[in-house]
Amino acid sequence: MRWWPGLPTRRAAAALAAALACALAFAAFGTGCGSDERQVKLIYAGSLIVPFERVAAAFERQHPGVDVVTEAHGSIQVLRHVTELGDRMDIVASADEQLIPPLMYERDDPETGAPWADWYCSFATNRVVLAVSPQSPLAGELTSKTWYRRLIEGDVRFGLADPRFDAAGYRALMVLQLAEREYGEPFLLEDMLMGRFTTPITVEHSGGTDVIEVPEILETSAGSSIVLRGASIQLVALLESGDLDCAFEYESVARQHGLQYVELPPSIDLSDPDRRDDYATVRVKLDFRRFASVRPEFTGDLIRYAFTIPANAPDPELAREFAAFLLGSEGRRMLAADHQPLLSPPELDDAAAAPEEVRRACAGR
Amino acid sequence: MGRRPFSLFWALCAAAGVVLLTFVVLPAGSMIAEAGAGLLGEALRQDDVRRSLVLTVSAALITTVIGFVVGVPLAYLLARKEFPGKRAVEGVIDLPIVFPHTAAGVALLTVYGRQGVVGRLLAPLGIEFTETMAGIVLAMLFVSLPFLVDGAREAFALVDERYEHVARTLGSSRFGAFARVTFPQAWRGVLAGAVLMWGRGISEFGAVVILAYNPKVISVLTFERFEGFGLRAAQPPAVLIVLVAFVAFLLARTFLVPRRRRTGKGQR
Repeated sequence: MRWWPGLPTRRAAAALAAALACALAFAAFGTGCGSDERQVKLIYAGSLIVPFERVAAAFERQHPGVDVVTEAHGSIQVLRHVTELGDRMDIVASADEQLIPPLMYERDDPETGAPWADWYCSFATNRVVLAVSPQSPLAGELTSKTWYRRLIEGDVRFGLADPRFDAAGYRALMVLQLAEREYGEPFLLEDMLMGRFTTPITVEHSGGTDVIEVPEILETSAGSSIVLRGASIQLVALLESGDLDCAFEYESVARQHGLQYVELPPSIDLSDPDRRDDYATVRVKLDFRRFASVRPEFTGDLIRYAFTIPANAPDPELAREFAAFLLGSEGRRMLAADHQPLLSPPELDDAAAAPEEVRRACAGR
Repeated sequence: MGRRPFSLFWALCAAAGVVLLTFVVLPAGSMIAEAGAGLLGEALRQDDVRRSLVLTVSAALITTVIGFVVGVPLAYLLARKEFPGKRAVEGVIDLPIVFPHTAAGVALLTVYGRQGVVGRLLAPLGIEFTETMAGIVLAMLFVSLPFLVDGAREAFALVDERYEHVARTLGSSRFGAFARVTFPQAWRGVLAGAVLMWGRGISEFGAVVILAYNPKVISVLTFERFEGFGLRAAQPPAVLIVLVAFVAFLLARTFLVPRRRRTGKGQR
């Protein structure tokens, strides 16, 4: 009986052994790098991708041996990843501070029985603009005064973030509803969205408040001029490729990607601190019948980004360090360089519950 | 070593097989078991799931028909003819298998998007590939074509060319020889490739989601449900499509694949 197999088998065995050795070497190399490395895990709103990448890289440079791991989604998703999908994160940053109390304060981590978080720090703002594709033939035609008419007409393909998952999505609906009054066009929102979804988005007027109702199943109808994506940031590539003519985006995102945009009046763009009462007359209600996992109602307000450190953060010490870095002069300079408007000074909700480092950083010390 | 060194050998082979089978069956089985029968009914009662199922299955069918029309002739050519660059052609056909599917989606968008080279040409005719069924079919076609072409090529290669020569000497045309002699012997293999292609089509996510988030095929719907509403909401569409695909494959394997090919014995 021959023990030594034939040449092809020998070659295959040798190749297999080589592959195995490579795999082991890579694995050893990988874990070798990671073994003495600490990780800080960030999960944040998609509109923060560009500035946060920069801040993360700078933090890594300043802290050798620390690896910053990042992940971005629509803001509702960001919080749900922590509270429902069980992702353990060190820093959670949402484009809407309103989301943190219902999703984190009022809910308990089943492992500890304590709330997911009990403070947040509002650190940045923004405004909604209508970003325009450089490839669009309509690039010159959209202006601050007439954009909505072109969008109603139906030959303009425009992008909307899904209001069920992303703050930019329900904010775009608020902008449209506020535009009704600004431009004196009753039914502006209905006209713009009518027939473009399989189940319509409707508006209820009650007292001085307009409530926009979003159905549970939100799908664009065939041939619709609206393109819906899970997060506003996913619309950017479609603007760049020319598959969209325009899309509702944050100003910072449009500027980061060098996109032209139509500025919207301050009375509707959710950026003016003096108009918070006007903004609050518009609400978006999600009609979740089957899967109510979010308290599904959002009130129009100034855009305010906020972050927190969840109670189950894997490395809270490093999380606090990152938070202080983000709020410190270097972090703020980098955010500003990426066109992210800042809230000055940052504000704490329940300052007493916030960690000392974060309190000090907010006070600029 | 004694006279029968094979028993240990086969035992090792079987052990490897058991590991692999467990790996495949466990997630699918536990998802279905955990979900229970009630969930299936629930899935079928949900409008969006039903619509998505019909869309997914039919888009994959259209894809397969298109793939059949353009893929089978090429497969036959590759099985019968030697020509310069044949290896390169075979390589190109298999390329989509190694493409990350999101990369395939991006590549397709740059060509078939509204401002893409082809997209721009077809737009005046009312043919658009973003957010349409056409886009879904396009994405599915790109990622699944290799399965049909490779399957059909192997099936044709197994048919002895001498039969075709005989048919030709008896006065049959090339078309006649293909239709009456070659295809009847190879059809099971070709259809098995088509079923694989269909299966690959319904399972596609990455390329489809870039071209067409809406209308939602079942993989996109499952992902959206998982991300947007949680695990519980994602289960109905996931379980449904796994079952549909399983039944389709079972039927295909039972009725299409000949016994001798399944056991690998008695071929010649």
